Parts: sequence; structure tokens; C-alpha cells
Amino acid sequence: MTLRKFLSDRLFRITAQLLCAAVAALFLRATGTQPGVLAILAAVFLPAFCAAHLSAFFSQRARLRELESILDGLDQKYLFTECVPPPKTLYERRLFDLTRRAGRAMTGAVSDAQASQREYREYVEQWVHEIKAPITAARLICRDLDGETRRKLTAELAQVEAHVERALFYARAESPEQDCLLRQVELEKIAAQAIENHRALLIQNGIQMKTEGLDAVVYTDEKWAAFILGQLLQNAARYRGTAPVITLSAKPLGKQTQLIVHDNGIGIPAHELPRVFDRGFTGSNGRTRGNSTGMGLYLCKKLAGFLDLGLAITSMEGKGTTVALTFSAKENLTKL
Amino acid sequence: MQKIMIVEDDPAIREELALLLENEGYASLVVTEFTDVPGQAAWERPDLILLDIGLPGRDGFSLCAALRKAIPVPVIFVTSRDAGVDEVRALSLGGDDYITKPYSVPVLLARVKAVLRRSSGEPEPSDVLDAGELRLSLTKGTASAGGRTVELTRNELQILACLMTHAGQIVSRADLIDTLWDHQIYIDDNTLSVNMTRLRGKLAELGLPDAIKTRRGMGYQL
Repeated sequence: MTLRKFLSDRLFRITAQLLCAAVAALFLRATGTQPGVLAILAAVFLPAFCAAHLSAFFSQRARLRELESILDGLDQKYLFTECVPPPKTLYERRLFDLTRRAGRAMTGAVSDAQASQREYREYVEQWVHEIKAPITAARLICRDLDGETRRKLTAELAQVEAHVERALFYARAESPEQDCLLRQVELEKIAAQAIENHRALLIQNGIQMKTEGLDAVVYTDEKWAAFILGQLLQNAARYRGTAPVITLSAKPLGKQTQLIVHDNGIGIPAHELPRVFDRGFTGSNGRTRGNSTGMGLYLCKKLAGFLDLGLAITSMEGKGTTVALTFSAKENLTKL
Repeated sequence: MQKIMIVEDDPAIREELALLLENEGYASLVVTEFTDVPGQAAWERPDLILLDIGLPGRDGFSLCAALRKAIPVPVIFVTSRDAGVDEVRALSLGGDDYITKPYSVPVLLARVKAVLRRSSGEPEPSDVLDAGELRLSLTKGTASAGGRTVELTRNELQILACLMTHAGQIVSRADLIDTLWDHQIYIDDNTLSVNMTRLRGKLAELGLPDAIKTRRGMGYQL
């Protein structure tokens, strides 16, 4: 708040007061008061008048600064009305009351939205668990079929499972702390689980998987890490080149461990690379090869954020893509 | 015959699972009434219980505790809940293993076999496979015939083992690849051909050049 703004805000009041003073002076002059007396009156009242306005300005400014610093210090800004010092004037009290009422309505709306989101998430999770029963039954029934049909149906079922998995993790990503369980896991186990989950897709695409030095131990949530790795494998299979090879290798990086997923697929154009983690981004590869949802890498990034897992991607068009997953050292994870 | 009790509320899975286990040479016992599972288990005395966590009425976790109290029998949890938290809870409650739906049939059978072997104190299965005069030692990684022995690589070993367990039958290339992937050997079609050629070369050294026959369009046969 500046003095100029303050004054221009009070322009009407000040003009009215000056006008009153002028009228009073004219009246006093007309009724025979000496000009000298008038001058004395002016010399006394004008400074008093200015002082009143200035003190109002300074006290208002101080009050506003105090309130602002309280707001700045708050983590949850919407708790402002609960934290302000008691109002000093009637006008302020009424204003606070109004703000409080508005805030309360907002909190209600927000908590309603949160509740409906939670319900939706719960429904999705329940649905995912329910859909797994018929998939399991279908898998068991598949066993009676002859070789080729069984393989084709199993591959389709695996696709269904991959979609279901994605839906589950999308729902989980909304409130990850509920399902996240950080434990000591061998990278080998994570890799084996991810490969097993997408095995039908990988075999179908004639992929050769190479694994090197995966005997490292990392601290992470096994299921989540396997999901993230699975998304990367799916991408590598989907955007494969000729004679596709996917290499999984690990190397220590100080106290951290890095898992490198390298493929010799078609690669990603350099100008699209910064956007591959965006939600719904499919890129030119996704458009030409189809079947891309733009959700896989977006989810990876989101989940990796919760796990404190570094996710970096590099690519050469026509040569291949490399994704580096950096698992945090154990001591950095205590804050999670 | 070992008896496996199936506690599962989905009828389709229940029946298929029973069929599968019977085909594999187990006696299966299907529970259709979930009111007194521990009582039924104490009465039937199965060797293993496959327990679904999401049962109607009662939580599978508390059921497991009750089962363990009733009889000392290994329990494998089979569930569609796959959060790590559930797994830890299941194993801490005395479950012997934890499988998430949808499981693949070989994985399920392998786990069942492993838990049964552990609980009955049965020795490890023989590590030697025989087919005709050919003998394969899985732990040493060698094949021998007529007094001669050759060393095999991991890939060759698994290919030969797969053919020998199905001796006389035709094994398709796809089935071979599937089996290898079961053993964490992730090869593609071309690599299989290369490995097959090398394996045949080694068998020829043993004096068995035509041991593996190619059945055009169908696969291989030992």
C-alpha cells in the first residue's frame, strides 16, 4: 500500500472535509471573524487533519503487513482466517466473518471433491481385483487348448492384464503412501518380475533380452519398480527395430545404483524427447505405430517421483533408446 | 497321493484349479462352504492349502491364523491383492508362499511343488535325466553317452532338459522358448537356432549326431 493509493482511495472524504472547512471559513468570515483568527485556526487544524490521515495510513499499512506475514508463514494458506489476530475494528470483524464463511464453503467443496476422488480410486482398485478373477480363470481354461490358440489367447490375456495393471497404478498414484513399501530387493528379482509380466509381448515380438550384472541390491518398492520397468520394456517392444535386443544392466553410482534399459529400436526424435513424460503425449512414433496411449511414461515419472527414483531418457533416432533408472541410497529414503 | 485343499470363492477358478491339480497327480479338495474352513481342514487333513484372501464373510488373513491353529499345514496365499503390504502381512501370519492373480500355470505348479517338498522333507528331485543312452546331469551341466562326456552351456542344458523330459514327443520351437524364459534365459528365435546347432554338434561328439530330429513345421523330437 502506498501513500498515493491510500490518498486516492480517500479522495472523496478528503475533498468533503476540505470543502466543509472552506464553507466554515466563509461562514466565519461573513459573520465577522478576523482573517488573522482564521489563519490561526487553519494553522492548528490543517496539521491535525493531515496527522489524522497519516496515522490512519501508517496503522493500516502496519496491520496489512502483519496479516501478510502471517499468510506467508502459513503452509496451509486456507487456514488464514483461523490464525489471524482478533480483529481491531467492527469493519474488520465483519470482513473476517465474511472471509471465514467463504473459506468454510470452499473447504466443504474441496473435501467433497477429495471424498469423491477417494471413492473413485477405491472403486478402481476393487474393480481391478475383481477383474483378476475372470482373467485367472481364463488363463487356467487356456491350458486345455492346443499350442497355437493357447499362445495367441495367452498373449491377448497378457495385454488385458497390462491395461488393468496400468489402471491400478494410475489409481494408486493419487495417494501412493498407502501402498508403497520400501524394502531391500535384488535388481534381478525386479527384472525377472517385469519380464515375466510382459513375456508374451516380448516373445511375440522376437525380442532377445540380455541381462548383465543385476546382482545389485536396491531399496525400493518391488511391485512399483517392476511396474515402471515393465512400462519401459513394453515401449522397447512396441518401438522395436529389426533384430531387437533389450539389454538390462546395472552399475553402482556412488551410493546409488543405476539400472540401464537399452534397446536398439527406432528411437525418439530429439525434439520430442523433452515431452515424452507428458500425460497423453504419443509423439510421431506413437502415431505411426498406433496403440499408444501416452500414459505409460507419464505414470512412470509420477511413480518414480514418489519412490525417489531418478528417471532419465536419451535416444538416437534410428539407433535406439536408453533409459536410466537411478535407485536412491538407503539413507536418502528415510524421509519417504 | 498328496491332497491339496482349494479355498477359493470363484467357481470357475475353483473348478479349473481342481482339474489342473488332478491332472498333475494331486488329489484336490474343493471347499464350497466357507463357514467352517478350519474345521473342514482338520477333518480332511490336506497336505497343502491354497487360500484366497478375498473370501466372502471372512478375511483370509484371520482365516489363515485360525487354520494354522487347527492343523500344522502349509498355506499358499492366492490373491488378487498385490500390494507389497499384503504380501508381508500374509507371510508374517504364517503363509508359506504368496501368489498373485492372475498367475501363470507353470509358476503356480512350481510353487506348489516347492512348498510341498519343503514341508514333507522330501529330498531334492534327482538331477539326472535319462533318455535312451543319453544321460544329462543338471547340476554338473554335462551330457554323457557311451562313456564320453561333454560340457553344456546353460542354454544348451535347458534345451536338452526340456527335450529329454518330453522324450518321444514333439516340442515346438515356441514351447522351447517358453521353457527357456521360465528359467530366466531370454532368447529369441535366432538364438535358439544357434544354440540348437551347437547342441547337435556336442551330441555328435558323443556319437549321437541324429539324437534330435527336426520335425518340419512342428518342432523338435528327441
